[in-house]
Amino acid sequence: MNYERPELLDRLAGEYVLGTMSARVRRRFQTIQRASPQAQQAVQAWERRLGPLAQSVPPQQPSAGTWAAIDRRTGGAARRSSAWLTWLKPALGVTFGVVATLGLVRLYPDALLPIDKIVQSRSTLPESYVGLLTDIGNNPVVLASSTRHGKTMTIKMLRKVDVPAGKVLQLWALPKDGAAFPLGVVPAEGKGTFQMADTSEKLLSSVPRLGVSIEDAPARAGTTPTPFVLAGNCVKLW
Amino acid sequence: MGGAAAMISATELQHLLGRMALGDRAAFRRLYDATAPSLFGVALRIVRQRDRAEEVLQDAFVNVWNRAGGYQAALSQPMTWLTAIVRNRALDELRGSARHAADSLDDEQGAPHEIEDARPNPQGLLEQAADALAIRGCLDEIEGPQRQCLALAYYHGFSHSEVAGHIGSPIGSVKVWLRRGLDKLRRCLDKLA
Repeated sequence: MNYERPELLDRLAGEYVLGTMSARVRRRFQTIQRASPQAQQAVQAWERRLGPLAQSVPPQQPSAGTWAAIDRRTGGAARRSSAWLTWLKPALGVTFGVVATLGLVRLYPDALLPIDKIVQSRSTLPESYVGLLTDIGNNPVVLASSTRHGKTMTIKMLRKVDVPAGKVLQLWALPKDGAAFPLGVVPAEGKGTFQMADTSEKLLSSVPRLGVSIEDAPARAGTTPTPFVLAGNCVKLW
Repeated sequence: MGGAAAMISATELQHLLGRMALGDRAAFRRLYDATAPSLFGVALRIVRQRDRAEEVLQDAFVNVWNRAGGYQAALSQPMTWLTAIVRNRALDELRGSARHAADSLDDEQGAPHEIEDARPNPQGLLEQAADALAIRGCLDEIEGPQRQCLALAYYHGFSHSEVAGHIGSPIGSVKVWLRRGLDKLRRCLDKLA
């Protein structure tokens, strides 16, 4: 069979994308595709034609373990955390006093530095910025932490905050000098993370306080916060 | 795309794929959260068992992470590209197992974790998609049996022989119907494009 004939390639590509080929024919056509740019183009054209038809399929939620497995298989956080947790325990013991003085019960794997950095400083906790925000009754409500050179802010809500429907809890940095600027939105309860506009070091090195206000929508840079409902110190953990 | 993916624009998905190509794991997570339910629905419909569909989804997303740099926005919409990766993997999984021979969709064979065949009628899905894509005219040009064969193949991953078994027609007729159905669809869609 002359697979370079465009009409034959087009027909086979259509059957391949539609999914009607038997296992044997399918494998053979995959081999042809690897060797033939024309076959690849014919398949791509059919994928463009038929792909949108999948949109009517009702979505289904995969189990939470699916992401964890993908993360592990692609060398993500799950694999790193399991690797360093085994030896991080003694380090945590040594520095527990430091953590305790900040009123922190534990730190979160996501908030820590990559393993190479930790290995360089085995006896200390990773360099991080940590904020503990309290309500008017001085009850701890928000624990915010981010590694010194990371952009991910990890949030643990220590108690639930009642947020009116349609409003958001906005976290702000309150620099020593200058106006407050928005960092991200925190959940009303539970845990969460958000990406900051830059690294903690860039954003928080001269920020002694953090605040949370209730806003109509996530705040943009340059806007002014409504009165803070929560506030607290932001400290360097190194 | 339907469901959760509808909440994220194609432009944003393209941006996330671009970030992933640079090794941005947060972008990967966001892409997963936005698209996994739709893609899992597609995989589950084809392989029919949750555990197998989750394996398909895992393999597909590992592939997406590794190939994000090869995504070309000029060639396909991001959701079309992602759907192709998932459908390909699901079809390989389906064809790769001896269990799933021509008659494997008989309910007597149901394994403990196999989902019930409460899948909406594939022809209904095809018509729903055609309406959403404003290509109803193309579908109307395709005769009933051809349309039914196309829908069974596309949404359930049926092979020629499985389609023939399902609708009780000779495999030769099914092959001809599918070929004609695809031809009409191609001509009409290419004209619209």
